Amino acid sequence: MSEVQRKKYSDKDKNSIFDQEFMPHIDSMYNFAYRLTFDEDDAKDLVQDTYLKAYRFINSFEKGTNAKAWLFRILKNSFINEYRKKSKQPSKVDYQEVETYYNSDNVDYNMTSDLRVDAVKDMLGDEISNALNSLAVDFRTVIILCDLEGFTYEEMAKILDIPIGTVRSRLHRARNLLKEKLKAYAQNMGYDTEEE
Amino acid sequence: MENNFDSSNQRKLNCSDASKCFKLLESILDGQADLESKAVLDEKLAKCQPCFEHFHLEKAIREVLRTKCTKQLVPLELVDSIRQKIQDLK
Ligand SMILES: [Zn+2]
Repeated sequence: MSEVQRKKYSDKDKNSIFDQEFMPHIDSMYNFAYRLTFDEDDAKDLVQDTYLKAYRFINSFEKGTNAKAWLFRILKNSFINEYRKKSKQPSKVDYQEVETYYNSDNVDYNMTSDLRVDAVKDMLGDEISNALNSLAVDFRTVIILCDLEGFTYEEMAKILDIPIGTVRSRLHRARNLLKEKLKAYAQNMGYDTEEE
Repeated sequence: MENNFDSSNQRKLNCSDASKCFKLLESILDGQADLESKAVLDEKLAKCQPCFEHFHLEKAIREVLRTKCTKQLVPLELVDSIRQKIQDLK
């Protein structure tokens, strides 16, 4: 997934790669962009910029390899470089703080949750979405990549430029935070969240 | 003390190494573990109540995220706009 130019595709090849390997991912790309920016116009710009960059750097893409991961990496980098500054999301301020807090591979797996399986299964799509959207961007991102888009830890490590151990621990923390949010929803719905 | 799971009588109520167990359970749910770990998983689910509960909660959360999370429809004009911009590049 490097930016080094390896290929020299003909225009015909370029068009076929673009149509057959890049464009089929536009739904996933737009959803990712929307969950990063929370704004339809910003999401459209981000996806468009990503596709233009993908076309411009198409010679560094190996035909038939993992186009989706390659595109997601470009989108995520564009977001960090260009959109994060102006994005309306509330979590941008504490980014540095959060970054230093969770960038260790030591995670406490002992934390138990009194959230109940039944309560989770009864949640509505909007409640799940809102809980996810309320997480800080880096936690939100790993959950989107893993659970909504089905990327492996290895693919996520490449997309995010972080070690696999960090993917694992960030994901674990993200899910714990999500559980806290879902627990609050469950309590509002009148579910008994106590074990006994 | 009542519990929802009938079979829990046979499971131990405290996990001897929750940290290691939960890490394994989560890897398996994320599709990262090999067959050998899956055999270990079956044993844990049969014998350990905290592992059993953690596994099913984590599984439920992944399922609702995958199946229920609201998806935004791609604006119709976006594809055309991208194709137009690519044409302009050429
Ligand atoms: Zn256990």
